[in-house]
Amino acid sequence: MGPRLTRLALTWVLLLVLLAIELGISRWITNPELRPIILIPAVLMVACVGWFYMEAGRGPEIVRLFVAASLLWLAILLGLGSLDPLTRVMYYVSSQ
Amino acid sequence: MSEATIAHEFQYSSASHQEESAIAGMWLFLATEVLFFGALFLAWIYARHFNQAGFDTGARETALAIGTANTVILITGSFAYSAGLAFAENGHNRLLILCCTIAWLLGLAFMILKFGIEWRDDFNRHMFPGPDFAITGPPGGGARLFWVFYFFGTFIHGLHLAVGLGLVAWIVWRASRGDFSPKYHTPVTAVGLYWSFVDVVWLILYPLIYLIGRAP
Repeated sequence: MGPRLTRLALTWVLLLVLLAIELGISRWITNPELRPIILIPAVLMVACVGWFYMEAGRGPEIVRLFVAASLLWLAILLGLGSLDPLTRVMYYVSSQ
Repeated sequence: MSEATIAHEFQYSSASHQEESAIAGMWLFLATEVLFFGALFLAWIYARHFNQAGFDTGARETALAIGTANTVILITGSFAYSAGLAFAENGHNRLLILCCTIAWLLGLAFMILKFGIEWRDDFNRHMFPGPDFAITGPPGGGARLFWVFYFFGTFIHGLHLAVGLGLVAWIVWRASRGDFSPKYHTPVTAVGLYWSFVDVVWLILYPLIYLIGRAP
């Protein structure tokens, strides 16, 4: 009970620290194209919540299968979906 | 109390089988929610990539202080509920009720800040992408796209949070009736997964809305 509550409290502190880092990075990066780097601490925060609060590593094995499947689906959705904007060549046409 | 004496529905071989099925079912639902919000995030990628200057112009009009406060609120609410679950697993029913009530109040505070204060201010400043949208000129198109994403994303997230408030209130009600014990607290676990997932979605929405477009 005690160690579990301590772990939960430390996770809360870690999340606040990551939030502070996220804010710090957002003040530091000025290049608009590099701004998505701010998502790195956000993803770490998601991992902390998923592991320590949602306890994705505990419970039946099928839970870990569903977690892995959702991350795979998300990677395919965002990865394949991003290929178009990242690889499209824009040809500007005159309005005449 | 032995495994054999804990009640379970007829289609399950045991109480633990029923509990595992319930938890797995909630995780499967959350996996579909990942896809649901994933499509929203993909729309953000598209919109910002093709309209970066205007998109970021729109993003600079967001209320960073309120967004950050709401992030702290949801993080703390997730912690409170998880602590309540830990208390439920050890039979501390009153502490479960206290922690869930704190989580519920924090969720309510989020809704008041987001929809009662922030949205109202956004509408007053003509940030709703309608006929009198405040940002005009070359960045206007991209800015409109940002604010469409903002209102849609925060509305859908708020809808999920409202459902979460109902679920947490249900847990508090059932706990007050003494329905939970160290041997049986599956609803507490399942609702906790949903509650933390709502937090997870906001942890991604927060930088997309308040930080990335706000270059110093």
